[in-house]
Amino acid sequence: MPENRDDIDKLIGSMKALASPFRGVLNELHTKYKPVREGAVANYIPELAKANPDWFGISVVTVDGSVYEVGDHGVPFTIQSVSKPFVYGMALEDHGREHTLSKVGVEPTGDAFNSLIRLDERSNRPHNPMVNAGAIATADLIDGADPAARINRLLAGLRRYTGRDLNVDMSVFMSERTTGHRNRAIAHLLLNFGMVTPRLDETLDLYFQQCSALVNCHDLAVMGATLANGGVNPMSGDRAIEAQYVKDVLSVMYSCGMYDFSGQWGYEVGLPAKSGVGGGIVAVVPGQLGIGVFSPLLDGRGNSVRGIRTCVELSQRFGLHVFEAGADRSRLLETLSGRSAPARNQTIA
Amino acid sequence: MSKIISVHSFRGGTGKSNVTANLAYTAASRGNRVGIIDTDIQSPGVHVLFGLGGEQIHRSLNDYLWGRCPIEETACDVSAIAGLPDDGKGRLYVIPSSLNAGDIARVLRDGYDPALLNDGFRALIERMKLDMLFIDTHPGVNEETLLSIAISDALVILLRPDQQDYQGTAVTVDLARRLAVPILVLAVNKVLPLFDMDAIKREAEATFNAPVAGVLPLSEEMVRLGSSDLFCRRYPDHPFTKGVRQILTSLVG
Repeated sequence: MPENRDDIDKLIGSMKALASPFRGVLNELHTKYKPVREGAVANYIPELAKANPDWFGISVVTVDGSVYEVGDHGVPFTIQSVSKPFVYGMALEDHGREHTLSKVGVEPTGDAFNSLIRLDERSNRPHNPMVNAGAIATADLIDGADPAARINRLLAGLRRYTGRDLNVDMSVFMSERTTGHRNRAIAHLLLNFGMVTPRLDETLDLYFQQCSALVNCHDLAVMGATLANGGVNPMSGDRAIEAQYVKDVLSVMYSCGMYDFSGQWGYEVGLPAKSGVGGGIVAVVPGQLGIGVFSPLLDGRGNSVRGIRTCVELSQRFGLHVFEAGADRSRLLETLSGRSAPARNQTIA
Repeated sequence: MSKIISVHSFRGGTGKSNVTANLAYTAASRGNRVGIIDTDIQSPGVHVLFGLGGEQIHRSLNDYLWGRCPIEETACDVSAIAGLPDDGKGRLYVIPSSLNAGDIARVLRDGYDPALLNDGFRALIERMKLDMLFIDTHPGVNEETLLSIAISDALVILLRPDQQDYQGTAVTVDLARRLAVPILVLAVNKVLPLFDMDAIKREAEATFNAPVAGVLPLSEEMVRLGSSDLFCRRYPDHPFTKGVRQILTSLVG
């Protein structure tokens, strides 16, 4: 009888992940931070204000495809700014480093999520792809014959990271579109300086749709794990981004991913990450794993309150800070595998 | 360091619940705080060994899995029923599955999140301060049994001297090896006393390349007892009781 080794391996793998003590750690963090009531859900568009403040999910996916998750990890929400680094990666693939850098820089600004536009005084470029001006300039770089081709390419690009089809939340898209005056102003200014092509309405629609793509916490962890894995989705085995651009994406996430909290985040958590006002945070431990946290209560800087606390504690407990040279990662590996030593050799007496 | 010990068999009728209850009783009588959890939700049975019926069971594992109560509220203290001394450290708790037909039907229809089992096992050990937790599993291979095996520190695979058991056991041994259980032992149950016990042990070890920790005889006393009591308590000097002690020693030293 032929055996399907893949199916057995998958089943064994998922059972090992369920049995792992790391699940216990995630449960503990979930129980600890679930009662936190600080912050508020985003309310700049009515659709986002409908989010349930109790939602809280944590997912961790390793580069070998093991999944650990607790809480509301399957609840859909709009990706918002978490999309920015991934679309930046697509722009790099479409145009290369030099051209992309001529349109958007990589310099942190410390700007808030809702800041007005500031452009580099000499080059007129937006400072980086994580601020709205930079993200709009980045969206402009996504190629395609017509608007439908461009959004389809963008969604297909995100799908390679998530491994599943993504939909755009039409009501969020429509409300972003009708209330996005600030982003419209930014786009016009960018056009004035020649930083974007004249197809402004089309690019803005693309950007609003990009931000309105529906994901869940599990997706964010898989996306993070894909970057951690050098650009190959560990669940599907598909390449989502050319290996050479992974470090570009992670660098801007590290320096600019958490709005005007990026400096302190880099200091305390020390991981490339990106947050969105939908309540999602993706964080990457290069070579090891991706973390997705979802909780819509945001602090004054637009970052998920429970998401930040969860990441701070995970990073500190397991020594995940990328600059912690010589950090003993054996604790993480032991907790993930649940076995402190290789299985005892048994001999038959 | 507390231990999780699963008792599994590929097929039903191997005497799994009976052996689990006797192993747990023996461990508790040595002064351990011991729990037995019946994860055979579709066909629960281990409670019977402790004389628990529907009226004594107020909360069950089902209530925990459906979020009605924390896991520790489902634990029945059966120390007195098992005759453990009041002043001793040894304690025995049973976490039964529901005997209510509606509850069993609901599990079959809706299933449950197996991940909750793992969370429950760990919470139970911590909150009840258990030294050992024995898991009486559902026969065959399904998600719940694989999960139980995956989180176990030791696994006992029970089989009878029967060709159907032999084939199925090979599957279980293979999966358990892949799940990297630190200690894996076999136990052969219901062996007719006229068989050569040593030969059966050698044959099983050669077939599965795993140690046989005990060969347990089928006895008239066992049949007569009909799961109405703990055999090891009633017959402390019987070869079955000695076999159970050997198995326990192979698991926890």
